[in-house]
Amino acid sequence: MRRRLVVTGALIVLAVVVSMVITSSVRNGVAMAITIAVAILTVAGVTLPGLRDSYPVLFRAGVTLLVVDAGLFATYFFPSFTNYNLAIGAAMAITLLGLSFLTGASGQISLGNGAFMGVGAMIVAIWANHHATTPIVITLLITVAVGALVGLLLGLPATRLRGPYLAGMTLAFAVAFPAIVDQFFSWTGGDAGLQLPTAVTPPRWLTGLFSSHASTLTVSSMWLADITIVATGIAFFFMANLFASRIGRAMRLVRDNDVAAELVGVSLPRTRVIAFMVSAAYAALGGGLWTLINNSVTPPTFSLALSITILSLMVIGGIGTIPGALIGGCIYAYSTNVITWFTSHTGINSEGNLASQLPGIIFGGLLIVTMLFAPMGLTGAFKHLWARRRSHVVP
Amino acid sequence: MDAFLTSRIMSDILEGLTNGMIYGLVALSLVLIWRSTGILNFAQGAMAMFSTYVGMIVFAHDFGYWPLVGIAVFVGFAMGGVTERVLVRKLYGKPEINPIVVMVGFLIVLEAVAAAIWSTSPRGIPSPFSPIDWQLGGHPVALSAFSSYEIGTALVVMTAVAVLFRFTKLGLQLRASALSPEVSRLLGVRVSRMLTLGWILSTGVGTVSAVLVASNFFTGLTPQLMDGVFAFGFIAAAVGGLDSPVGAIASGVTIGIILQFVGDYVNSNAIILTALIILIVSLMLRPNGIFTRSAARRV
Repeated sequence: MRRRLVVTGALIVLAVVVSMVITSSVRNGVAMAITIAVAILTVAGVTLPGLRDSYPVLFRAGVTLLVVDAGLFATYFFPSFTNYNLAIGAAMAITLLGLSFLTGASGQISLGNGAFMGVGAMIVAIWANHHATTPIVITLLITVAVGALVGLLLGLPATRLRGPYLAGMTLAFAVAFPAIVDQFFSWTGGDAGLQLPTAVTPPRWLTGLFSSHASTLTVSSMWLADITIVATGIAFFFMANLFASRIGRAMRLVRDNDVAAELVGVSLPRTRVIAFMVSAAYAALGGGLWTLINNSVTPPTFSLALSITILSLMVIGGIGTIPGALIGGCIYAYSTNVITWFTSHTGINSEGNLASQLPGIIFGGLLIVTMLFAPMGLTGAFKHLWARRRSHVVP
Repeated sequence: MDAFLTSRIMSDILEGLTNGMIYGLVALSLVLIWRSTGILNFAQGAMAMFSTYVGMIVFAHDFGYWPLVGIAVFVGFAMGGVTERVLVRKLYGKPEINPIVVMVGFLIVLEAVAAAIWSTSPRGIPSPFSPIDWQLGGHPVALSAFSSYEIGTALVVMTAVAVLFRFTKLGLQLRASALSPEVSRLLGVRVSRMLTLGWILSTGVGTVSAVLVASNFFTGLTPQLMDGVFAFGFIAAAVGGLDSPVGAIASGVTIGIILQFVGDYVNSNAIILTALIILIVSLMLRPNGIFTRSAARRV
């Protein structure tokens, strides 16, 4: 019964989509046809009975593919500024997921993930300036590796730390980041930062999929959004499996009761260092994507304030949850627009001090309110509402 | 002797001592709260910065320097008490990241509000003391009226805190409620009042440090003034041991002097890097701090 419903639904979606493709044939139809076909196949695959319980990895892969596919499809229709927002938000979501994993799975907190983003952002820019021909995938992989390495270096004492020490140490790292950038001035260009030597464009074998009718700007923003969405999909898929894996379970045990974890043979140092490294690597990936999206990097962006914004987004979305990271990314992508709208409708001088400080006031205030009254964030609140609704239906 | 006093090494030591006293004050302020409530106050620097700005309002009306200091410290006391009652009270007994997150949120709100009201451009607070180094036989000693004022004030505050804790009944109650809240409560100590008092004391000490930093002719008061100072203060407190006031002050001074040498002989970027390395290494070797006796963790 349920399966038939799903099939009917898929057919309706197919019909709608096909008519959309025909009507909007200004943009390239081949790519759309591919995304639609992939979507339908995945829906069919994911809804196979028993798949979720017997092959959870396949199920997760299917869901990820579906979401990524929908995202790619959407970028064909969005104007370039929406694609830009989408890409920025998706890159932020990757960073948030890393921090979420660290906090939700090991009970530690980092105030330096903005600086780790900065590390990733600098690495991409430096690498691109020295080896302009490297494919993006390789550059991003190098960035992730360097991020993990820096995380390992800083995480070494984390193995023995409890309580606020890690937070304080990462705060010191965030404060030290500008000095680190300045120290390697000849590589990093100091506060002025670096430009990428060339704009990021789709490789030749893919250009056919991107409409040749569209302007360069449109194609470029679409391509960047697509790269970011695919990277986000991979990052989320990997993390979903890590959460469910042996390491993920060990980490939750460490968070809830580290003594019990030690007693059942979980190595605390190893678990904590892995959590810290993963979070640093994710932040570096997010920062690296930011450089690609903006085509440049300015180190002052990666201040302590950014680290704290990351923390607020993670807490508001929901600590240690995958939807929480996505929600946080969406909030970040649209926060500037919402704040601009807010200032223009409340008559606050948009050039004044108050307007420039609104993000800090709002994010900081939300951080406090969320932690005091809804520590599980929006995801937790939704879950709570959902559970209440269900309990009303079946008393 | 004169040549030694004006030598490069001696001036580094003196300048380092001046900075180190400030770090020691910040570290002491962190330790006071940590000992009584087990919370690391990440908003400490921002709260101190904010109180100094409020004192600045008085200063702007030509009331002079000392009323500024008085008002700032008074606002610091009040802020500590109100924060403990309103924000922190809800966080006792929660997972350890909750207070960290709330205090970090408070930090960013305070900095943003201060920047919204008073803008981010630095404001000078001319202290009555000259920042020009004293001369000895035609060469400058790295000590001025202002830096001796800094060192002297820090010493006075530290001594006052020590006297309060060692020799007064109130200090005994404060120590008792930090050590064992349940027993103290049974013996008639108003533990909840002692917790508030701990916060009041700590933010008072913190505010003194912010006033000293802001009165410096070369820095002035900005909303982000205390970010760096807080980082150094935290490093000092963590290296010395968050439980140990003496350790906090001693490591604050030591770190101040070491960093002055690094800044002089390497470069200014190396200062915070060295501080970070000191923190990492000392946490690896002695996670509980140099000055605390390692205690077995109870389950």
